[in-house]
Amino acid sequence: MNSGSSGAVRTRAGSLNELVARWITNTDRGAAFGRWISKRAALPQLRRLTGGNIPWTPLRKRVSECTVVLVSTGGVHLRTDRPFHLNGDASFRVIPKGVRASDLAISHQAYDRTDALRDINLVFPIERLRELEAEHVIGRVAEEHYGFGLMGSAQKLMGPIRDVARRISESKTDLALLVPA
Amino acid sequence: MGLLAREIEATGVTTVALALVKDVALAARAPRFLYLHWPFGHALGEPGNVAQQRTVLHDMLTLAVAAPRAATVVELPYRWRRETYPPIDDWTQPSRAVLSALP
Repeated sequence: MNSGSSGAVRTRAGSLNELVARWITNTDRGAAFGRWISKRAALPQLRRLTGGNIPWTPLRKRVSECTVVLVSTGGVHLRTDRPFHLNGDASFRVIPKGVRASDLAISHQAYDRTDALRDINLVFPIERLRELEAEHVIGRVAEEHYGFGLMGSAQKLMGPIRDVARRISESKTDLALLVPA
Repeated sequence: MGLLAREIEATGVTTVALALVKDVALAARAPRFLYLHWPFGHALGEPGNVAQQRTVLHDMLTLAVAAPRAATVVELPYRWRRETYPPIDDWTQPSRAVLSALP
């Protein structure tokens, strides 16, 4: 693992993976390729898994009264937790509200983590959310937040996703903000 | 991301998700998506650009309130680095970028 300037650390991927991740993140052609790969991987699975009605829960309170949770799929987790498996991992990690950037790590190999390690808010905006709580823009930051890693199989994700959904709902949270890699 | 949003919303919690791939956001049939044509790993913007990050959060909070129906995908107009992100003076006012892009 390697330190970024915010103090978050990266789980090293293979050098070829790092090169591809940088190309996908930092060049127009790489980004187009990354979007194409995402579509190829996701669209057939989404067609299978998203039939029927779309769930719909209107916000019941003013934003300034809402408890807000973050869910990130950018591979963020506590550095004391087991890292996500870089080639695919359907499990999730819990991240406490008061976490410091230097307590966090990123385990993901499909994007260049250099900038997110400098500023964890790019993939997990917990510092911005705590500021909004202090400014009374939102009611409260939830006690627990959730991180997922890279997983190609949507079917394998469904169990952990439902676990997280249940935990969020049982914690009396009003609004979930979801941030991708 | 879309599957997460759908399952969380189904338990009675409002969701707003960011997307960096528009076709995936559209296919996900999730409640509320904000799409940004920005690099992977930068959904909130650039490192250290607090005004940009707060702009995206303001847009998310606006969409939480203002989305008219399920499967709302709003495309944000920001041109990555060729954009200035003025500070938000009044958070009780909705984001004009979101309101003007609503379907």
